[in-house]
Amino acid sequence: MIVVETNKLSKIYTHDFIDVEHGRLRFNFMRRTVALADLDLQVGKGEIVGLLGPNGAGKSTTIKILMGILFPSSGSAKLMGRPLGDKAVKAKIGFLPENPFFYDYLKGEEFLDYYGQLYGMSKADRRKRIRELFDYVGLPDHAPNLPLKGYSKGMLQRIGLAQAILNDPEVVVLDEPQSGLDPLGRKEIRDIILSLKDRGKTVFFSSHVLSDAELICDRVAILNKGRLVAQGELGHLLSSKIKDYEVIVTGMRKESVEALRPHAIKCIERDADVLFIFEKEDDVREVLRRVIDENARLVSVTPRRDTLEEYFIREVTRGPGAAETGAQGGAA
Amino acid sequence: MGKVLAIALNTFKEAVRNKVLYFLLIFALLIMGFSTFISDLSIAAPEKLIKDLGLASIDFFGFLIAVFVGIYLIYNEIERKTIYTIVSKPIDRHQFVLGKYFGLLITIYVNMAIMSVFFFAVLYFRDATSQDKIMDLINPEVNGVRQPVENAESLYYWYHFKMFFIACGKAVVTLFGYSEPITFHLMRVIGMSALGLAIITAFAILYSTFSTPTLSAVFTFLTFVVGNLCEDLLRYAERLARNAGGLQNLSGPDVLKYWFVTIAMHITPNLALFNKRSEAIYDKWDVMAQTERFVAIDPVQVAYGLVYVGGVLCLSCLIFNRRNFK
Repeated sequence: MIVVETNKLSKIYTHDFIDVEHGRLRFNFMRRTVALADLDLQVGKGEIVGLLGPNGAGKSTTIKILMGILFPSSGSAKLMGRPLGDKAVKAKIGFLPENPFFYDYLKGEEFLDYYGQLYGMSKADRRKRIRELFDYVGLPDHAPNLPLKGYSKGMLQRIGLAQAILNDPEVVVLDEPQSGLDPLGRKEIRDIILSLKDRGKTVFFSSHVLSDAELICDRVAILNKGRLVAQGELGHLLSSKIKDYEVIVTGMRKESVEALRPHAIKCIERDADVLFIFEKEDDVREVLRRVIDENARLVSVTPRRDTLEEYFIREVTRGPGAAETGAQGGAA
Repeated sequence: MGKVLAIALNTFKEAVRNKVLYFLLIFALLIMGFSTFISDLSIAAPEKLIKDLGLASIDFFGFLIAVFVGIYLIYNEIERKTIYTIVSKPIDRHQFVLGKYFGLLITIYVNMAIMSVFFFAVLYFRDATSQDKIMDLINPEVNGVRQPVENAESLYYWYHFKMFFIACGKAVVTLFGYSEPITFHLMRVIGMSALGLAIITAFAILYSTFSTPTLSAVFTFLTFVVGNLCEDLLRYAERLARNAGGLQNLSGPDVLKYWFVTIAMHITPNLALFNKRSEAIYDKWDVMAQTERFVAIDPVQVAYGLVYVGGVLCLSCLIFNRRNFK
């Protein structure tokens, strides 16, 4: 079953006739920017699909059109087989925008309760669901009674995720869910997305960080300058060459961490967790050896490939025809 | 309806946690409190001055709240992108606009209620502690002769202390229909003023659906001023026609002036209809009949106000329904 479907979806922005740019008046006679051009996309039920592309590729524009925030200039889209804006469909969809800013005068619990009311949930349901969600997204115990203005970036992203899944949606749409998070925070979001898939949810999310996306996506669609340049399984689209390795361990001895630090590109410690990024596979073997010797715990080993930007640079510099360069101008 | 209410209550919560509101409220209460001192300068009718200043403060500060809170309500939602998570929920956009409107209206009415209670309390307290009543208390008339009582000073202070609480109590119940000669009809005046503010609030919301806060503030202020001068300007247009000896005899720029004023005044709400202050304060006594005049609330005027609010809100919803949120 297809849950997200777009057909020749386009968005063209017409600039204001007069606007101020760098402190100077600028006259725009019929100036237009193509943000999205003829997008044909399909997302199947139960899939995790990543909408990938560099900044300004049209990812957010696509998501905003699907969520009814923007109206398309041409083309059409359907969610769960119904046209956009259908309230019955909206009730089955959860959405987290990019860099969300929420009502900072509300406490965490008040905030979710408000959104629960917008979903039409009963008071008892809201209370039960909110309690579950604070645990599910990993917010600390004091979070429900803390005003959102006191939340850190990571906590805001988590409560944003909580409001997106408050209604136990069938489709979850996330716009750059890992943006601005540290590697551990990104991993936690990844885990939540995977657990949503385990519960039969469809997840459609945008990202410009392929290393994260390739770990969780069943399929990806790549946008550049408003046009779809590729879609399919990520492994087919990118080089299989590994750039570096992300290793997360917990309970490793201090001396070992210090001994491994010079070999790592990055080494971040948080409580008992340590995150290393190594260039060489031998260093990863050394970490594994020490984990076994010291009876520490290995959390994850993630081989990381090229980023999307590198992929695009390579494709574009290879010459015309290698990748579609898309429409004139770009925005999202 | 539940979703509109949820948005309205959240809007109210947002306004209540906004410091600007408290500054406006404190300022209004200070003016009302201060009016009791200024009123002593008025020889003839000090209570008229207090009433006029109090009622004008309630109306004007209600208007200021409509402007300063109203112009940011929708703009902030778009600017801070909180609108993204709202429109993606199973609600219609017009429910959002209505929720914002009613939330702001609740905020204004709660503030008007607080200002009214303070205003009534001032009136009751002044009435209870008037010179005659104090004189009767500390120098009661016994067999036609005034005689001082013992411990007059402590009686004086105790009486003021007691009257303060009684005035506060009476002020609260006045909101629910109780009245004394000193507060006769004042709730009707405040009620009509509240209806006028409902129109202005609808305009503040309308402007904020398509404009920046500064422009919205300017537009709302102009609507308020022109709306209050509506009748005068219409009279001016009629006089232009009369002086020329009829509409057909108007010539040159006068034709333009006549039609501009006439058309503009029919578009702009006639806010003067909702200002019953002068009726309640200055024309209270029918000198010939020696009875108090009734501050009439014309159902047609009320219907006019409600239809206007409905029309402006419909227009706001139409504009908001078509907006892209970049």
